[in-house]
Amino acid sequence: MLRTTLAGLRLHKARYVTTTLAILLGVMFIVGTMVFADSLQDSYEESVMGSATKIDAIATPRPLEDQDGTWQDPEPFTDEQLERLRDLPEVAEADGVRQAPALLLDAEGRAYGMFPPLAMTVGEVTRHHVLEGEPPEGPDEIVLATGISEQTGFEVGDSVTLLDTEQREREFTVTGLFDVGLESGLSYRGAFILAPEAFASVTGAEGFHEIDVLATEGTSQDDVAAAVARVLGQGAEVSTGTEFGERMASRAGADADIIRTGLMLFAFIAVFVAGIVIYNTFAILVAQRQREMALLRCVGAQRGQVFRSVLLESLVVGLVASLLGVLAGTGLGLVGIEYGGPLLDPDMNVTTVVTPTAVILGLIVGVAITVFSAMIPAMRATRVSPLAALRTSATATGMEKGTGRTRAVVGVGLFLLSGGIVALGLSGDPDTNGMWIVAAGAMVAFVGVVVLGPLLVRGVVHLVGAPLRRMGVSSMLAVDNSTRSPRRAATAMIALTVGATLITGYSVISASMQATVGQQLDGKFPVDYQISPMMNLEGLEGEGEDGEEGTEAGGTDLSTVPESVRSELAANPKIEHVFAQRLDSVDSGDDRITNEDGTIPVVTFLDATVGEEVQPDVVEGDLADFGPGSVLITEERAENLVIGDTITLGDPEREFEIAAVVANTGMFYGLTLAPRDYEQVVPEITGDSTVMVRGSDSASSAELREAVYSTVDEHPTLNVTSMGDMRQEFEQMLAIAFYAIAAMLGLAIIIAVFGISNTMALSVLERTRESAILRALGLSRSQLRRMLGVEAVLLCLIGAGVGVVLGVVFGWAAISATLSNIVLGFPLGQVVAFLVIAIVAGLVASLLPARRAARTSITGALASQ
Amino acid sequence: MSTPTPPSPSPFQAPPVVIAHDLTKTYDTGADQVHALAGVNVEFHRGAFTAIMGPSGSGKSTLMHCLAGLDTPTSGTVHLGRTQITGMRDKELTLLRRDRIGFIFQSFNLLPMLTAEQNILLPSQIAKRDIDQARFDHIVDVVGLRDRLTHLPAKLSGGQQQRVAVARALLNAPEVVYADEPTGNLDSRSGAEVLAFLRDSAQELNQTIVMVTHDPVAAAYADRVVFLRDGRLVDEVTSPTAELVSERLLKLEA
Repeated sequence: MLRTTLAGLRLHKARYVTTTLAILLGVMFIVGTMVFADSLQDSYEESVMGSATKIDAIATPRPLEDQDGTWQDPEPFTDEQLERLRDLPEVAEADGVRQAPALLLDAEGRAYGMFPPLAMTVGEVTRHHVLEGEPPEGPDEIVLATGISEQTGFEVGDSVTLLDTEQREREFTVTGLFDVGLESGLSYRGAFILAPEAFASVTGAEGFHEIDVLATEGTSQDDVAAAVARVLGQGAEVSTGTEFGERMASRAGADADIIRTGLMLFAFIAVFVAGIVIYNTFAILVAQRQREMALLRCVGAQRGQVFRSVLLESLVVGLVASLLGVLAGTGLGLVGIEYGGPLLDPDMNVTTVVTPTAVILGLIVGVAITVFSAMIPAMRATRVSPLAALRTSATATGMEKGTGRTRAVVGVGLFLLSGGIVALGLSGDPDTNGMWIVAAGAMVAFVGVVVLGPLLVRGVVHLVGAPLRRMGVSSMLAVDNSTRSPRRAATAMIALTVGATLITGYSVISASMQATVGQQLDGKFPVDYQISPMMNLEGLEGEGEDGEEGTEAGGTDLSTVPESVRSELAANPKIEHVFAQRLDSVDSGDDRITNEDGTIPVVTFLDATVGEEVQPDVVEGDLADFGPGSVLITEERAENLVIGDTITLGDPEREFEIAAVVANTGMFYGLTLAPRDYEQVVPEITGDSTVMVRGSDSASSAELREAVYSTVDEHPTLNVTSMGDMRQEFEQMLAIAFYAIAAMLGLAIIIAVFGISNTMALSVLERTRESAILRALGLSRSQLRRMLGVEAVLLCLIGAGVGVVLGVVFGWAAISATLSNIVLGFPLGQVVAFLVIAIVAGLVASLLPARRAARTSITGALASQ
Repeated sequence: MSTPTPPSPSPFQAPPVVIAHDLTKTYDTGADQVHALAGVNVEFHRGAFTAIMGPSGSGKSTLMHCLAGLDTPTSGTVHLGRTQITGMRDKELTLLRRDRIGFIFQSFNLLPMLTAEQNILLPSQIAKRDIDQARFDHIVDVVGLRDRLTHLPAKLSGGQQQRVAVARALLNAPEVVYADEPTGNLDSRSGAEVLAFLRDSAQELNQTIVMVTHDPVAAAYADRVVFLRDGRLVDEVTSPTAELVSERLLKLEA
C-alpha cells in the first residue's frame, strides 16, 4: 500500500505543486517570524545585558507611596550617600548619574519634544557608553541620544543650544552619540549627557538618579549589592548588574515578543488559508480518483488502508513542503533582520538566530495543518464502493448538485445570530469590549458564509451571469462551468474571502478614523494652528521647591501660553481669529462631581463662544442657558445630577447651576465655566492652556506660518502644531499601518490565489475531454483560455466581493462599537483597488491551467477515456 | 418538413469534397517508428455517406483526425473543397473546423453543463453565426428531440445524447461531417436510429458524411465502405451489406 501511495505521488507530482507552495508559504511565514523575533531579541538582550553586566551593583531611588495612596517621585541619592558607598570595603569604585529635564532647541530654535528631554551627567563608572565620538569633557560639550540626533538631524560636530533654568541660551558642541536602548523614560523623552560642571550650570539639579558600583577584587556581585543596600536603606532599590541586565533584557524580550505575536497572528492567518487550500485540493483529488480508489478496493484494500493511503500522501506532501518552508523561512528571517533589524534597533549586531523551536514549530504546524486538512477528504475516500471502478464515467459527474435546504437554513440562522451579536456589541457604550463582541459576530458570520458558500456562488453567478453570457461563448461557458461544483468553487473562494475581509475591515476602520478626525478638524470653526505649552516642565524651575501652581522659571510661567501671544496674534492682519482655552484642576467639596482626590478639571474659553467656535456634543439641555453663574458638565460626572441642579466650586465656595450636559470630547473636560467665573475660581493663572489660530482667507499658508512663528519666537518652549501637518501626519500614520497590514495579509491572499489556480488546474484536468470537444467544434485556443480566465476571475470576484461586504459591515460595526462619535468612512478607492486586484489575481490564477488546457492535443484528449 | 427534399444525386458523379493525397503519419516511439498511415489516397464525394473500416490499429482514427484537421499528417495533403488544410496553422484549422466541419464522437459528445438545445447551438455560438431557425426546427423534428431540448445531457439516454450530437453536427450544413464510432456506446436499437438519421441526412440534405466504425452492421448503412490495414487503403465496397463487410473484414484480419 505504501509503495502504491508513493508511486501515485511520483506520478501526480504536478498536482501537488500549488498545494506544496501554499504550505511552504505558510510555514515560511512562521519560521521567518520566529527567526526574525529570536534574532531581534538576542540582539536587544546582548546590547542591554552587555552594558549592565559590566557594573556589579546598581542602585536606584525607590518611589515612595504617600499616605493617600499616590506615588511620589523618588528622592534622589545625596552626595554624602555616594561617599559612604565609596568608603565600603566591598566597593572598588562608585559613580552617580545626575538627571534633570532641560530644554534643547532644534534647528529652528524651537524646544525639542512634547516633554523636555533629560539632561544627564555620568561618572567614570556607568552603564551608558558612547556609540560614536567622544564622551563630553569640556563645559560646552554634549553627547546626544541617537533618538534626538535622528529627529533633529544634529550630528557629531554640530552646535546645539540648551536653555538653562534662567531661559538663557547656551551653546554646546556635539562630541558623540549614545544609545539609551529601551529605557522607557530616556528613549521616550530623549536624553543627552553633559560634563558635570555643564550639567550643574544648565540644570542646577543635584542628587543622583542612579549609582553604579564596581566591586573590589574577590567580592561577588551579590555581596556588594547587599552592602550597598545596607547603606542606602529603605529609599533604594539595589540589584546586581546581572539582575538589572536581566530585567532590562526581559523588557526587551517583551518588546520582541510583541513583534513576534503580531507577525505570528498574520502567519497563522496565512496557514489557515493554506489549510483551506489543502482541504480543497485533497477533496478534488479524492473525487477525481474515485476509480483508482475503487480499483484498490476491488483488489482487496480495506477501508482503513485507503484512508491511511490518502493521509500518508498528505503527510509526505506536508513534510516536503514544510521542510522547504523552513528553509525559505530561515532565509526570510535573515533578510528581515538584515534590512528590518536596524530600523528597530540601531545598535543591532546582525547575527541570525535559528532556534530548534522555530524549525520544529514550522515543521509541526506545516505537517499538522496538511494532514488535518486532508482528514475529511480521506474519510470520504473510504466511502468509495469497489463497484465505482466498473462505472464508465471516469469522474464524479454531476457531483454535489444538491446544496440543500439545511444548508440554507443553517447559514441564514448563523447570519441572524451574527446580527444579534453585533447589535449587542453596538448597544452598550463604545469600548474595547464592543470590538471583541463585533469580532465574535464576524466569526459567526464567516462560518455562515462557509455554510452558505455553495449557494452564494450559485446565486451570485446567476445574477452576474446574465450580462456575462451575452458577452460571448467563452463567458457563457465560464459562467456555466463556475457553478458545476459549487462546493469546490465555494471553498476556493472562501480562502480568498478571509484575506479580503480582514483587509477591507481594516481599511474601513482606517477610513472611518480619517473621516472622523477630518470632520473634527474641519468642524464648524476650522483652526489652522494650535499653540500650547510644553508638557511636564516641573523640575525646570531650578533648585528648590515645587511651585504650587504653574512653573515659575526666571520670572516666566512656562506652563501656559502668555496672554501677550494671544493679543499679538489677534493684532496680526494675517490672522482672522484667535481664541484660547484655559484648563486647570481645582478643589471642590462637592463629592458628587469630583475625582477621588477631591479635584475637578475646569475649562473656559476666551474670545470664543461656546456653540460657535467651540462646539460641544450636547447630551442634554440647551447651550443658550450657559453663561455667568452656570456650567456645562460632562456626561460621566452628571450621573446623579440633572439640568438645573447646583454644584459648589471654588474657595470661597460658590454655587453654579448646571446649564447642559455635554460629551467628554474635544476640548470639554469636567466643568466648563464662563470666563469671569473661571477667573474667580482659578485666580492665580493668567496664561492660556491652548491658543487656537485661524488665518484669514487672504493669507497664504507661508504667510500664516510666518505670522505664527514670529509671534512665538520669544517663547521657544511653546509647542506650535499646524493642524494641516497634524492631519497629514495622522493620515500618513494610518497609511503606513494600512500598508504594513496589507503586506502581512498579502501572503494569505497569494496563498488563496494559489488555491484558486489549483482548483482551476484540477478542474481542467477533469475536463480534458470537454476542452477537446470544444476545440474540435472550433473554439480557438484563446477562446478556451478566455473561458478559464473568466471562470477564475468570477471566483476571485465573488471571494473578494463577499470579503469586501463582510469587511465593510464588520469594520463599521467594530469601530462604532469601540469609539464614540465616529464618522463612518468608506474607502472607495481602496475597495475598487481590491476588486481590480481580484480580477488580476483571477487572470493570474488561470494562466497556468489555461496554458495547459490550450496546449493539450485534441486527438490525445479524445482518445483517452 | 419545411425544406424541400432535393433530388438525390448519384454520389459518384458529384465532385469530391475531401481529397487526401499520399497521406502518411509516423510516430516516434523512442527506438523505432510506427507508421500509422503509410500513404493513403482517398476521396469523399458530396452527399456520400462513407464508412472507414479496419482492424484495431489499422490507422482509421488517425486518418479521420488528419482529414478533419485535428491532427497533422507527417506528409501528404488534405483538401477540403478547394482549400488545402495540411500546413494550416492552428488558428486557421480552428476556424475551418468551426465553419466547415461537423463532428460526432463516440461518447461524452456533449457538454454536461449545457442543455440539449444549448449543445446543438454551441458551434453557431462559437462562430457567432445567426441561427437558421427553420433548419433548426427541421433537424430537431427529424431527430425527434423537440420535447428534450431543455434537458441536461445527464437526463438523456445514450441514444438521445447521440441524436443531440447528430443534430449539432448537421445544423450548420457543414461541408463534411466526421463521425467517430457514433454508435459504439449504444444498444443496437438506438444505434440503428442514429445510423438511419445519418443515412437520411446524407440523402435528403445532400450531406457528406465520413464515419469510422468497426461494426459491419453500422458500415452497412453507408453508401461506400473503405478498408484500411496497416495504414494503407486496401479495399473498397460500394452499396455494402453487413455480410459483405464482415466477410471482407475477416479476410483483412486473416
